[in-house]
Amino acid sequence: MQQPRSAVDHGTFMENFRRIGKAFGSFATRRRPTLIALAMLFSLLVIVAVGPIVSPYDPDALSVMDRLQPPNSKHLFGTDHFGRDILSRTLSGTRVTLLLGLSISLFSIAAGLPLGVVCGYYDRVGLVVMRGVDTMMAFPAIILALALMTIFGKPGIVNVILAVGIVWVPRMVRVVYSATLSIRETTFIEAARALGVSPRRILIRHVTVNLLSPVIVQATFTFAFSIMEVAALSFLGVGVPPNVASWGGMMNEGRMYLTRASWIILFPGLFLALSVLSFNLIGDAMRDQLDPKLREVM
Amino acid sequence: MLVSVLLVISVTFLLMQLIPGDPASVLLGANATYEQIAELKATWGLDRSMFTQFLKYISNFFRGDLGRSLFYQDPVLQMLGARAETSILLGLGSLIVVVGIGIPGGILAALRPRSWVDNFFLLVALAGASIPSFWLGLMLMNVFAGKLGWLPSSGFTSILETGNLGNLSSLVLPSLSLGFVNAALVARTARSSMLDVMQADYITTARAKGLRERVVTIKHALRNASIPIITVVSFTFAALVSGAVVTENVFALPGIGSLIVQSVLKRDYPVIQGIMMIVAVLYVFINFATDLTYALVDPRIRYR
Repeated sequence: MQQPRSAVDHGTFMENFRRIGKAFGSFATRRRPTLIALAMLFSLLVIVAVGPIVSPYDPDALSVMDRLQPPNSKHLFGTDHFGRDILSRTLSGTRVTLLLGLSISLFSIAAGLPLGVVCGYYDRVGLVVMRGVDTMMAFPAIILALALMTIFGKPGIVNVILAVGIVWVPRMVRVVYSATLSIRETTFIEAARALGVSPRRILIRHVTVNLLSPVIVQATFTFAFSIMEVAALSFLGVGVPPNVASWGGMMNEGRMYLTRASWIILFPGLFLALSVLSFNLIGDAMRDQLDPKLREVM
Repeated sequence: MLVSVLLVISVTFLLMQLIPGDPASVLLGANATYEQIAELKATWGLDRSMFTQFLKYISNFFRGDLGRSLFYQDPVLQMLGARAETSILLGLGSLIVVVGIGIPGGILAALRPRSWVDNFFLLVALAGASIPSFWLGLMLMNVFAGKLGWLPSSGFTSILETGNLGNLSSLVLPSLSLGFVNAALVARTARSSMLDVMQADYITTARAKGLRERVVTIKHALRNASIPIITVVSFTFAALVSGAVVTENVFALPGIGSLIVQSVLKRDYPVIQGIMMIVAVLYVFINFATDLTYALVDPRIRYR
């Protein structure tokens, strides 16, 4: 039987998605910091798209003659101890960073959203699972990530995604859980239940659809924190493998030459800070606009 | 609270069971015979069932035995003890920076909302939340230790052993870089909490009584605004521990944070296990202590 829509109508997934996008768009254009953040994000995306074409050198090309050169007209950001061009390496690191950030955020949604919804909807499951979630959150992020990297064995892109992703799943579960608890008590869920809609359909069609805004906001913050954490792991030598140009790895390699060639560290760090800043600003703006009540949850 | 501690131990134990390869063959190397490995496993109790090992681990934990390092053969607890001084001093130093910048900054911003002071602290808070602490540490090191030569760039010698308080200067840059990035959250919370309280009727009453503005701010407003501030300061514990792992590494400080990184690189899993456990148990205790502090600050809160 076709479900009657009018009684419990609160929009399809796409309608909700469009509503959120529209609300955010009109809001962002009115606030300068958000606008700047969006411009920064856009530039990062442009770098990801055209980086390999515009980057002046091969990021891995060695040139002993040009080693440790300060920023000049040939090498805008200078060169490192192998004579590699810092600008090209920083641009190539942007791709790696954004790819990792995106994968980790998606991983945290894929694992955290279903778990949080089920925990919030079924009290008994929630009681047990949330205990475990809280226990996971007792471990500081980097310590848990380090332990997970030990378990997974050697450094590698997939291992980093899993390690940092697992660290952020409990935080996503918490947000989804508390939002589900309040949605569960609304009248449209009651109406859907009264109409005899199956629990599975309620969870997917009625609860999850309305979780879109808290999930997007949390995913944005996850993005910001996770790229910082990935950089920290790579900086410690247990993250992205050294043969891939990453911001954290570049800063690690540049430590030996800190006083002689601080540009090796300066530029990747600046890019990292600006990326984190833009995601934080966008997250803040979305939270304020989509649901001011979320301030208490996050 | 005991339940939380037990859960933390269980999660750590389970995680460490997932490490591929067994520690006995790692320690003995490739040339070990099968009998040697089996013998070492028997001495460590690794040939028992997982459940027996788990019970043994819990009972050892409560007796203060965290096992031995695979690499150094020293008891883990002793290794942690030897490095505790540096980490505790670094933690206290950063906490002073967090509280010293965060709370006054938040109060100043709240007293004059939307003024240049407020905007300035908002900017600092945003920067603080986005700058990686290790990058800030390296930049500070480059300027104040490298270029200006005012402060030592790395290393730390124990004050307990040498009695030389001057060694604290080695911790100034690490505490600044670690504290600054965490002060941001405290400043923002202090601001919004103070703004809320300043609207209250009892503040108007206090002013009407003719009290000086400073007394109103500190005695009447700050005390009532302090609960969210205390909460967020206690949250920074986890952030400080995370940051300390990297900061100790940057400044070559002989603390627990640099120990865990070395242990991860050497796959010295009893040490990793021990550190995870201690840190998580500390976290549980700090949450508990925070709850108790609420009652101290706000007499309306009573625990029965």
